[in-house]
Amino acid sequence: MKNKISWNEMKNKFPDEWLLIVDYELDENGHLLSGIIARHSVEKDEVFALPALDQSSAFKYTGESTFPGGWRAHAEHHHV
Amino acid sequence: MPNITTFNIKAHYIYLPIFVVTDSHKHLEFDAILDTGAPITEFSDKALQYAGFLDKVKNDVTIKSGLQTQKYSTVILPQTKICGHKIKNLKVFVSHFEKSWGIDALIGLDFFRDYRVTIDYSKGILITEPNQS
Repeated sequence: MKNKISWNEMKNKFPDEWLLIVDYELDENGHLLSGIIARHSVEKDEVFALPALDQSSAFKYTGESTFPGGWRAHAEHHHV
Repeated sequence: MPNITTFNIKAHYIYLPIFVVTDSHKHLEFDAILDTGAPITEFSDKALQYAGFLDKVKNDVTIKSGLQTQKYSTVILPQTKICGHKIKNLKVFVSHFEKSWGIDALIGLDFFRDYRVTIDYSKGILITEPNQS
């Protein structure tokens, strides 16, 4: 895929996938506006596979995060 | 002069982009969560390997029951950018991240130590400026 598409289009076209995006544009806060999809997969390993592309890139996940977060997660992590 | 960074108030967490500059001067953008529960900033091992700051992802790390990540090393990132602030030589934990987290970094308390951070949730903005001390 060589066309530049918006972040909303990426989410619609590649639901619950990891994306490697090049030639990207950001807003003034650093949030992704658009870019070209260089890699996409439900498997994170495929998107992060080496060799790395020789260009600036953005990595995005289009699904809902299951991050647990909070002090509990870190307390358990440290066996407190 | 403080920086103002927007975030999505509808999300469950404060998601922010974090930028890592590679040795070949490429900018890699990863999604991060602002996490006051993290003592220092953490990165996923896969992200650090891709960026060239980790030789090998450790595959034999056992994630203990009930845990999502397992820190197993540290690396120093020569240049990162968070909320528009360029940070040199940031020491970060290397961790396994579950792929379903959808993120590759946790911005931890080290950022709060070095920067005054004001969260205006009603407006969905972070106001950040370096601490003077």
